[in-house]
Amino acid sequence: MNKNQKNVLLIGIILIAAVLIYWYTQGAEIFTKSQVLVDKTTDLDRMLGVENKEYVDKFVLGLDYAGGFSAAVAVLSGILIYLFRNKRKKIR
Amino acid sequence: MKKTLSILAVIILFTASTFAQGFKVKASGEQTFKFADNKNQATFFSTTPFEDITGLTNDVKGSVSFNVSDLKTLNGKLSVSVSSIKTGIEMRDGHLQSAGWLNAESYPEISFEIKKTSNIKQVADNKVTAKVTGNFSLHGSTKEVVADATLTYLDASEQTQMRAPGDLLGVQAKFNVKLSDYGVDNKLVGQKVSENIEVSVNVVGSNAK
Repeated sequence: MNKNQKNVLLIGIILIAAVLIYWYTQGAEIFTKSQVLVDKTTDLDRMLGVENKEYVDKFVLGLDYAGGFSAAVAVLSGILIYLFRNKRKKIR
Repeated sequence: MKKTLSILAVIILFTASTFAQGFKVKASGEQTFKFADNKNQATFFSTTPFEDITGLTNDVKGSVSFNVSDLKTLNGKLSVSVSSIKTGIEMRDGHLQSAGWLNAESYPEISFEIKKTSNIKQVADNKVTAKVTGNFSLHGSTKEVVADATLTYLDASEQTQMRAPGDLLGVQAKFNVKLSDYGVDNKLVGQKVSENIEVSVNVVGSNAK
């Protein structure tokens, strides 16, 4: 493996690791969400014996997008590693 | 004979008043509570092999009426619009409301109409639990369901004015529905959705006219 190939491999691994770490810290959801459920129960709600939850806008990365991105990075890295391979000189 | 009948009448009246379960609050007689504000909510909870789904709508409308001292007189109707249900994923909301699922265009409303109330238990002066039987309509089909409900009555105060004028009634109710009973196909975006769905209602109504 030459220097260029090593760089591509390293960048690919770092990108995939970063996305997967971010996905994990976001709650390791399977599906990407555009809204999340938030508890907004007030003291008055509690006195009335009811709960109050609301969907609020928030992007939560899911394994669908994170996995897709990781797969795309892996494929692209593979192509680049192939293209950066050493070409053998023909010996006459 | 007359004396015996009088004693019997008194016993019946005493028994009826003893077993009539209701709120012990300032208000009396027939009261009607309207559910109109956008903090009211109805949710459904379902499981799939991949994740749990909570659908929520704040578009809950309706009213209930009852005699404050006798909750057996409870009647009324609550309804929600199908197009207002959210699940946290826009694409899934679209599938949920599509013709292949709840079909919001043909059946725009989900409703619960109260038929009778039983097993009324006094938890506090202003709080009771009860089994509320009603007709639940979904996807063009109507079936009888029994909900476990908790009703809480708050007399008008400075604190209740923050939510709405007049006395407030908080209603929390839960019941389960089987999707196949209502002709709903239990597949949502390729996932196998649980056949049984838990429906919850958290609403606050006001008796202000």
